[in-house]
Amino acid sequence: MTDEHEPTHRPRFPRASCDLSVVLCTRNGEQWISELLESIATQSRPPDELIVSDDRSEDATCSIVTDFAGTVPFDVRLDVNEVPKGSTRNFASALARCGGRFIALADQDDIWYPRKLECLVGEMEEDPTITMAFSDAVLIDEDGVVVGRSLWDTRLIGRTLRRHPVVAEELFARRALTTGCTMVVRRRAVAAALPFPDELVDDAAPMRHDRWLSLVAAAVGTVRAIPEPLLGFRVHPAQETGVLVGRQLQRAISLAVAGVLRTTTHEDDRGYRTRAVQLEVAADRAEELGDFEEAATLRGVAAHLRRRVEMTGPVGRRLRSVTRDIHAGAYGWDRLGIAAAAADVVRAFTRPVRSSVPAGRTA
Amino acid sequence: MLHKIRVLIVTDSLQLGGAEQVAVDIANSLDRDVHEVFFCATREDGLLRSSLADDVAVRILGRRATWDLPKLYEFGRYTKLNRIDIVHSHGRGTMRFVSLARSLGLVDARHVFHDHFGRLHLDRSAGPSLRLPLRSSVDAYIGVESRLCRWAMEAVGLPPDRVHLVRSGVRLDRFTSVAATDLRREFDLGQCEVALVMIANFRPQKDHPTLIRALAELPPSERERLRVVVCGSTTADPAYFAGCLAMLDRLDVAHLVVPVGVRDDTPSLLAGADGAVFSSKNESGPLVLLEYMASGLPFVATETGEIAHAVKDAGVGILVEPRDYLALADALSVLTSMTPEERTAMGAKGRALVVEQFEQHLAVAQVEQIYRLLLRIGAEPLA
Repeated sequence: MTDEHEPTHRPRFPRASCDLSVVLCTRNGEQWISELLESIATQSRPPDELIVSDDRSEDATCSIVTDFAGTVPFDVRLDVNEVPKGSTRNFASALARCGGRFIALADQDDIWYPRKLECLVGEMEEDPTITMAFSDAVLIDEDGVVVGRSLWDTRLIGRTLRRHPVVAEELFARRALTTGCTMVVRRRAVAAALPFPDELVDDAAPMRHDRWLSLVAAAVGTVRAIPEPLLGFRVHPAQETGVLVGRQLQRAISLAVAGVLRTTTHEDDRGYRTRAVQLEVAADRAEELGDFEEAATLRGVAAHLRRRVEMTGPVGRRLRSVTRDIHAGAYGWDRLGIAAAAADVVRAFTRPVRSSVPAGRTA
Repeated sequence: MLHKIRVLIVTDSLQLGGAEQVAVDIANSLDRDVHEVFFCATREDGLLRSSLADDVAVRILGRRATWDLPKLYEFGRYTKLNRIDIVHSHGRGTMRFVSLARSLGLVDARHVFHDHFGRLHLDRSAGPSLRLPLRSSVDAYIGVESRLCRWAMEAVGLPPDRVHLVRSGVRLDRFTSVAATDLRREFDLGQCEVALVMIANFRPQKDHPTLIRALAELPPSERERLRVVVCGSTTADPAYFAGCLAMLDRLDVAHLVVPVGVRDDTPSLLAGADGAVFSSKNESGPLVLLEYMASGLPFVATETGEIAHAVKDAGVGILVEPRDYLALADALSVLTSMTPEERTAMGAKGRALVVEQFEQHLAVAQVEQIYRLLLRIGAEPLA
């Protein structure tokens, strides 16, 4: 894997064979999966198929799914991976198998409210330019009891999304906004996102399947945020998508802000480079479909990340580069963006004259 | 009222475009026994100037911003000097300009706003810069599609009796007995079997890339049978146009698409075509479908906008989901495989539908009714 990205030819994604698919990736989910399956079965707009991809569960997950398949009118297809793949790769292979025009993603521990699919798919049917719709969620604890804040609010995006329901690709390029279980994605966007690039699972800056899908969906169409909470999002210690509440959240924000203010390490630089490559792949996918403007935006963010790594030369030149990016809004105007800009101003003075990563080093 | 109703139609410019064409068509079609028509382009002149009827007085203001005070004053003076009863603005920028003139007391005529906004999918907001002028300075809101009318009532809060849906119409005479251009000779298309026309400026909204990808999807034997002549500005968005050209080369279909720039003889080009295509992402009209039908052409188009929805099941063209290049390829394949007689029959059906439902006088009758309603001249309440 190199830090310079080169476009590759992608295989064709098959045409849709049904209207609505739900994709569920599982691993040792016996504790709550029945509740999720039950909530899918009772949707006011049930799916045409449920694709389950199990990542070598060692509990009763697969048998619960198999039993469930016999009780519902739609197709349930269970595939078990030969070796564990991890959630991003597992979702990639599950998505490649589904046939829906619209594809909803599910996590094994949530509870969908009955109107979830109807509402999200309805929004997309009304406007064919929408490539993805996602909703807010109510946080619930291990016993299904509502814990208070909504998912959007814990991610500090509630106010932004309620004001600007159409989410630009630039925002997804900068940060993860939502999780897969809140989304329905149009097949066209899934086709553009597949195959997932290898760079997504680079340890330096991993990008989860849901963030990648959102990024590509926004680059090849319109992404709409629906403020209505359409599911119960379970918060528990074993989950992969960690959600922090209360003091945990405040502490995490402080740590993140402190993190961007400290001096960068080689690992940070590798992370920026990896993220830049991911964004450039997304830009290629957008360009393939003729979304030139969106591709240019993503390349702009990628170039900004590379500039942050390659901060070389005299202090004056570094400062000019940072100021230009601040002026162009390249850092974004949220708390983290402002902290990152401030950190780069500090770094302009403190960073060694030579680049911290030797030339030619791979990402 | 003893004098005729003096109507001032206002647009940003007289450049070729859907909203501008609707404005010009209304100006030309208002009943001259009852109306005296004036036309004002607040920014610039353009090719459509020559399409305006001789009896329409034209004024070009050359304003540079909404808050161009000298031009606002000039506009106000013009309306007062000509004792304008109705100012009929087209486009949101123009509406803001007229509303500002009214708020400043420079204009005392009634204000009708004709909304053609085609990006409602991206922006359903109604911030103060829209809400305030719409609520305070617009007496009647005309939406060219039902989604816009819903937006005006729900997001802006206009009362339903001030909101009117008027689907665009087309003047059939522009497309009747027109000398057909020999497209194959004019644009060096060789002996292709099916020559299609697409009327769309090279702007992202028109989504030429979906057409390009659709052409690339066709089997070589089918794709070589057709050529697409694209009429529309290639300079409106140079980066987008360059992207399209690069895509044509990359997908090896450059020889199938001939961009011919802005033309003022589109009726002749349409008359010489075997069919038409339109691949836009999002439209409120689109008027161009009516022009295809008025020309008696079968067409392949994306299903977006009031007109596309209205003709969806009429068998006058093949409609597919916007941005779905595979579906567009299938539709092109169907159109290409039709016999000339089948294409003619489909085109004739489209023209008959225009006569029945979309002839310009039907749309203008609704507009005239709105004028009468505002001036309280023996108008029946609108449904």
